[in-house]
Amino acid sequence: MQSVRFFAPKLAASIGLGALLAATAAFELSAQQPAAPPPAWKQGMPASMADSKLAPHASPMTVTPVEKITVDKLKVPKGFKVEIWAHGMPGARMMTRGDKGTVFIGTRAIGKVYAVTDKGGKREHKVVAEGQQQPNGLAFKDGTLYVITIDKVLRFDGIEDKLDNPQPTDVSDKFNLPASTHHNWKFAAIGPDNKIYFNVGAPCNICETDPGKYAQIRRQNLDGSGLEIVARGVRNSVGFDWHPVTKELWFTDHNRDWAGDDSPNDELNRVAANQVGGNFGFPYCHANGIADPDIKRPNPCAGVIMPAALTGPHSAACGMRFYTGNMFPAEYKNQAFIARRGSWNRTKKLGYDVVLAKVNGGKAALTPFLTGFLDPATDAHWGRPVDVLQMPDGALLVSDEHNGAIYRVSYSGRVAEGKR
Amino acid sequence: MRHRRRWRRLQARGLAVAAVICLTGLQAARAAEVPQERLQLCGTCHGENGNSKMEKMPSLAGQPELFLANQLILFRERLRKSEVMQPFAKDLNDAEILALAAHYAKLTPEPSPEPVDQALAARGAQLARQMHCGTCHLPDYAGREQMPRLARQRIDYTIESLTAYRAGTRYGVDTTMNGVMYDVSDRDIRALAHFLATVR
Repeated sequence: MQSVRFFAPKLAASIGLGALLAATAAFELSAQQPAAPPPAWKQGMPASMADSKLAPHASPMTVTPVEKITVDKLKVPKGFKVEIWAHGMPGARMMTRGDKGTVFIGTRAIGKVYAVTDKGGKREHKVVAEGQQQPNGLAFKDGTLYVITIDKVLRFDGIEDKLDNPQPTDVSDKFNLPASTHHNWKFAAIGPDNKIYFNVGAPCNICETDPGKYAQIRRQNLDGSGLEIVARGVRNSVGFDWHPVTKELWFTDHNRDWAGDDSPNDELNRVAANQVGGNFGFPYCHANGIADPDIKRPNPCAGVIMPAALTGPHSAACGMRFYTGNMFPAEYKNQAFIARRGSWNRTKKLGYDVVLAKVNGGKAALTPFLTGFLDPATDAHWGRPVDVLQMPDGALLVSDEHNGAIYRVSYSGRVAEGKR
Repeated sequence: MRHRRRWRRLQARGLAVAAVICLTGLQAARAAEVPQERLQLCGTCHGENGNSKMEKMPSLAGQPELFLANQLILFRERLRKSEVMQPFAKDLNDAEILALAAHYAKLTPEPSPEPVDQALAARGAQLARQMHCGTCHLPDYAGREQMPRLARQRIDYTIESLTAYRAGTRYGVDTTMNGVMYDVSDRDIRALAHFLATVR
């Protein structure tokens, strides 16, 4: 944390947090030390919201019994079906698939990586890593699973033949990741260029920080060499994929909190071929050109690449993947599914679903796909979708962090199957 | 480290009891009831009714169920490091953890027997307001969901945990408290602890 430049006095003054200034004065700071920032998730809270009771929602870390997972509440378009594919894995988030069919699942708080195998139509899971600090970033290439935690990169060579006795090699020294934790859980994937891509988020809700170190998407060769910044000004991306035809990188990005229920929107972004290393706006410019109310500079949106789509304020658009399978109707091909984990910093909840992003050139339009985790009447949620993964048969897996479950969405064209 | 030696003895005794519990306790746990032997074991330090009389041992009475379950899991998974708690938590299954959490959440918190410095407590009241502790822990500091009850907690335990959050040697299920405690002085930590112990 100490290496991050928070510019806290300027921030506090610009947002008129009188209470904060009074507090920092009372904290008996020694002369050499910087002023204490408020907790990262609370930075930028205006005085008018100081009495707000909004706080992040925690998911259980215990196993949700399968009979308590109310999958029949989920809704999908006509002809689709959704069922529980695997369960009993608290905190299940990001998914990647091995060459031999193992689905690996990362987590945050509970520190585990699960491996799911299909045995005669039934799924079994094993724990291949535990005691790790937020092992959320998973990628698989040529028999090796890469697990990226807050500040570690672990290689599991030949993992699919060693699920009972996994032997990681710690290659963290080749990657030199910052140790600060906030927004520093990773999403990871291997690109068409055979490099490993991952995010390094902003260590705050809203702050000026070292742009060479934070708020970016990076890529490196699998041995850790050749570090490049692929996208800058990216507050917190928790999902990306490459367009199946153009091979361009598309990514989701969570925007700041405490600037109101309806602003700024989260984003779906596209890095066009000539925009590698481009600036996506954080901390000065958000969504489709909204200047930050606290961190100001002249022409905040000058040179900023605008999003392909707005994905809803505070909705927490996470895992996104393009659909290339043959199971779903043809209009789904080369479109993106996005899991929206759902809001906390909003009076009325938003997200808690999977949406379809219909891509048209450099833009995209969203339509609902998998809903029913949130009851709009009571504003209560029972599930939090975080990632999507296409299977070889064209079915779509969806992870639910709240219930530690993976759902399978399939298409048969028949309507009668569900309890619709 | 007389404190630690005493702990080793308690632990040895505890492990013997725990071995018996492992053989007999599974059915009871499924029925969401904590076996008496286990409650006695926990009560050795945390107090029979969940209100601790022992130095630096937290009171568990009235803590939110999710907070209690999360902490036992963090101990079990060695993500919250504790020589004292890890041996007790390492073999607990989820059902046993949920039963313990439900049990202690229902008990009534009592004031700690520790002496309170009223001047420090008054200063702590002011600090708690300035630091917005009540946003998450609620204005009466009763806690909710993953965020613990602070009211009536032991002073020495609150000091120890806030100091650990500041040092980055303890995390919750997220890193919120590490940010909250960044750069807070020892004296302010003491003031907060004295105040919170007095909240009814």
